[in-house]
Amino acid sequence: MIELTGGPAPYIYVCTRLRVRKSMLLPREEYLRMLNMSLPEITRVIEETTYKPEIDELGNSFSGIDLIEVALSWNLAKEYQNILAITPGSLQKFTRGYLNRWDIQNVLTILRGKQQGIKAGKIKEVLIPAGTLDRKTLDSMLAEGSIDKIVESLKGHPLYPVLMKNYQEAVQEGSFAHMENELYKQFYAELIAQAESGIKGGNLFLDYIRLDIDIKNIKNLFRLRANAFKEDAGDMMIPGGSFSIDELSRLNTLESQGEFIDALKARIKRQSLLQTVLDELRSEHTSSQIEVRLTRVQLAQMERMSKLNPFSVHPILTYLEKKKYEVFNLRAIARGKESRLPAERISEYLVI
Amino acid sequence: MAVEETTVAVATAGMTVEMIKASQLGMRAIAAAMAVGLTGVAAAIAEYGIGSAAVGATAENKDVFGLVLLLTVIPETIVIFGLVVALLLLF
Repeated sequence: MIELTGGPAPYIYVCTRLRVRKSMLLPREEYLRMLNMSLPEITRVIEETTYKPEIDELGNSFSGIDLIEVALSWNLAKEYQNILAITPGSLQKFTRGYLNRWDIQNVLTILRGKQQGIKAGKIKEVLIPAGTLDRKTLDSMLAEGSIDKIVESLKGHPLYPVLMKNYQEAVQEGSFAHMENELYKQFYAELIAQAESGIKGGNLFLDYIRLDIDIKNIKNLFRLRANAFKEDAGDMMIPGGSFSIDELSRLNTLESQGEFIDALKARIKRQSLLQTVLDELRSEHTSSQIEVRLTRVQLAQMERMSKLNPFSVHPILTYLEKKKYEVFNLRAIARGKESRLPAERISEYLVI
Repeated sequence: MAVEETTVAVATAGMTVEMIKASQLGMRAIAAAMAVGLTGVAAAIAEYGIGSAAVGATAENKDVFGLVLLLTVIPETIVIFGLVVALLLLF
């Protein structure tokens, strides 16, 4: 593994590589073109891009939407592992920490899938083994018969204590939402501790995490308001961002949407991008549209941060996020086409 | 006339004309060494960044090799300027 401490040259090398990769991601026009294509045509277009090795490799075993799903997941996992292999020193530590979120996503996908009685093969298609749990471990988890055994198989893993504490209740309630919150709280607390541990570049990493937490909390607030949730929302919010938990709870109690947006805007005076989007959200929008818009703002803000700090962890994390949304977009288009949704409807879910 | 005055002045300071000429040559040699050495260091500083980025870009896209090679050698001109100055100083 590359462990270099000889000045900023390795940072420049890695950041340039990822900037080149980012420039090769699919442009907006390509997505718009795909919206007017059939599923086989979309598969062919995907095959002409960086997903070719996976499509070729899996072409004999899968077809149609399954082929796209598995190829996209494999490609994303491979890409993330590849990035970990080329990042040096503290950049690798931060990247690895950030990618551990996939462990939470994979475990929750398996638990939810198992609870709903979905076949192991179907669950496997959407797993992204990019965190500490590799493909083999995830396969053995999928082979377990019950949720108890799945949780037990994670003994020794950092997720285990939180899972152990919450999964019984989650199974009884039939919802893993609370457990998911707790897992993400732990995840972000670990990231913040890592950023504040005095490693070189930690402050920049912390800025990135704060932005991530803020946007997540704002999305949660919009979601709670859409569901008219009026109880104390403090427990559902992630600490560590620029908003305190009390502040977020107070924001949730505001009655009108206009008042809520004004209060948010007053709090985030320095973020002009978010200010503009919040103004646009005053008019009626569905939850998914709001989330997509906020995600776009987050990506734009991340992009801006990566330009201000071109040789730091920012360009790496920005690429990780952009790549993730490329896969999400392609999956959304493929799934939407499979379900015969109109192009306009699919485009609402795209982060472009 | 001026040389005579200098010789007299130096003679009083305890130095011969030969010593002064050798000293001047030595100073020129130091200046020439600094011209090449410092520009060499400056070129190295400029090149390590460009070189790292160039290798990174080429690793992702081999088509840019010619362009990045050109960009990498541009700071070499600083050394050439230094060399020219050094040669002018010495000859």
